Amino acid sequence: MSVETRYAVRSVTRNARRTALSIVGIGVGVALALLMESVNRGRDELFARVGATSGVGHLRAVPAGWRAKRDVRMRLADPEGALAAARALPGVEAAAPRARAQVLLAMGTHVVPVEVAGVDAEAEARVYRFASKVAPGRWLAPGERGAVVVGQAIADRLRSEVGDEVVATAVGRGGDIESLMLRIVGVVATGSDETDLSVCAAPIADVEALTGLPGAGEVTVVLRDWRATREARALLAAALKGGDEVMTWGEINPEFEGHLQQDAATTRFVSGVILLVVLLGVASAQLAAVLERRREFAVLAALGMRGWRMVRLVVQEAVALGLAGGAVGLAVGLPLVWWISVRGLDFRSFMGASYSFQGVVFEPVLYGDVGAWIVPYALAVSLGATVLASLYPAWFAARTDPAAALRAAQ
Amino acid sequence: MTEPVLSARGATKTYRQGKLDVPALRGVDLEVREGEFLALVGPSGSGKTTLLNLVGALDVPTSGELSVLGKRVASLSRAERAELRLRSLGFVFQAFNLVPVLTALENVEFVLELQGIGATERHARALQVLAELGLADLAHRRPAELSGGQQQRVAVARAVAARPRLVLADEPTANLDGENAEVLMHLMRDLRDRHGMTFIFSTHDPRVVAHAVRVVTLVDGRVARDEAKPGEAPHEILPGVGKPPEAAGS
Repeated sequence: MSVETRYAVRSVTRNARRTALSIVGIGVGVALALLMESVNRGRDELFARVGATSGVGHLRAVPAGWRAKRDVRMRLADPEGALAAARALPGVEAAAPRARAQVLLAMGTHVVPVEVAGVDAEAEARVYRFASKVAPGRWLAPGERGAVVVGQAIADRLRSEVGDEVVATAVGRGGDIESLMLRIVGVVATGSDETDLSVCAAPIADVEALTGLPGAGEVTVVLRDWRATREARALLAAALKGGDEVMTWGEINPEFEGHLQQDAATTRFVSGVILLVVLLGVASAQLAAVLERRREFAVLAALGMRGWRMVRLVVQEAVALGLAGGAVGLAVGLPLVWWISVRGLDFRSFMGASYSFQGVVFEPVLYGDVGAWIVPYALAVSLGATVLASLYPAWFAARTDPAAALRAAQ
Repeated sequence: MTEPVLSARGATKTYRQGKLDVPALRGVDLEVREGEFLALVGPSGSGKTTLLNLVGALDVPTSGELSVLGKRVASLSRAERAELRLRSLGFVFQAFNLVPVLTALENVEFVLELQGIGATERHARALQVLAELGLADLAHRRPAELSGGQQQRVAVARAVAARPRLVLADEPTANLDGENAEVLMHLMRDLRDRHGMTFIFSTHDPRVVAHAVRVVTLVDGRVARDEAKPGEAPHEILPGVGKPPEAAGS
């Protein structure tokens, strides 16, 4: 270790009380920043996971032009190829085909307009989380025909229950009105009427028969890690044929993504304000330290130490302070982050058992994220803040006029 | 004739205090040659420290000519003056001004590190110069663990470690008792004799003046008297300090 570095590190210990206060300040700032970032990442993960398994998926293969028209009658050019390519993606959790149609569901005199999703029962159960939460009744069985699972709000409006038969009416391929009898085999209660009204799943073969449109209109893909969405999108796009396209969950549901980004920006702004306060505190303490050592810097200048080396000396002191502050931040922040990742922030007491936004239902318990990012993040924040805070004091030290400073000291 | 290490012709320095111009030097003419052991004396406010600051390239003259080691101080940039101080000048201050968080050895090593000398060589050289000044046993002590005399010897070690051509000392014995002042002057004479360095020191102390080979008296910012002593007073290295490293153990 160079003498200069030893000099810098030991200088940090000169005024123990000021150093301790600075380290505690940095530590608290880092701990708060860790907490905010953990919650931010946890929320990102929650939104991505819940949003994806609410039916949107992380990625969706759609027909050419669907992005602009959003017409449910459009079908993929190569549905089998798209499904195979989706299932071959690295990191894919599941992929499921769907064919959608606008139908009128009727029982007796009660009619409800819905968008029915024709699904592969087995594959859909892996991408749609409410498939495992059907009560009363059950989810669609593999190969089953003439069955439908509806949301509680639809069942209520039809005055129907499990076992009842409903008539699905749609406009066929040639413009004729087509009807099909479907038996309700299960009801899904998501906790949100808005979301329940969008739950209507029937075998894909029945939807094909009703609409006269063969094949899937989309392939929904759920990834094991939502952060891989961009890479997976590129791979899937390259594998699709016939002009079929890929959209991410954010493109399919831009309001949802916008809400997420707005929340993230707010959290990061608050983190930034916290860090700015810490930074100003450290800058003030360091400037005081440099002013106290004005004579010492004058002597260093007299010995021939150049300005840039004085800057480096003060910055090294800041690095030592930052490392200590980062360690304190980790010591304080890690247990908090760990606690939030295990226990979660529970908003149920004032938001109810579930919360719905843009048709996506959340359980309002937010779990923080814990991962390998924590240590580098804490160090980056603490070192970034302290080094930035040290620049003005360092510049001040480098500008010391040795003759004037020594004269003033006499 | 040896080459002048310092040449001043009508050098002035005026400080601005508020709206007032305060002249500190009013036209100094002085030439100092290599190897001289020169005392600057004069009453307080006579301009001794100001002249040392100009010679040390810590400041520039307001007017007149002042060259140090052949370089006109006024024409040097801030960086060039720093380079001159680093490579060719050594400083000893009245208040020692050692870095309090570094040991004696590190204080000396630091100057060598600033010169870009590698770790092994600078360590050896710093130990050697500390031994030369009788401080080998105290090398790992911090300034607060040393007496005033020991601190000033470390400061001298720091000033001469890089073998500068010119060493400037501003009242180096002002904070020392008589015995330590004597020891320090002997050591500085010895360093000058062995390494051919030029020493210029300011002082009020007549015992210190007695060691000088040349005495320049400043009064009101001008050289009032310039006396060269015909014969140098004999000096000896006091027991336990100042022996060259090779003789230290004998």
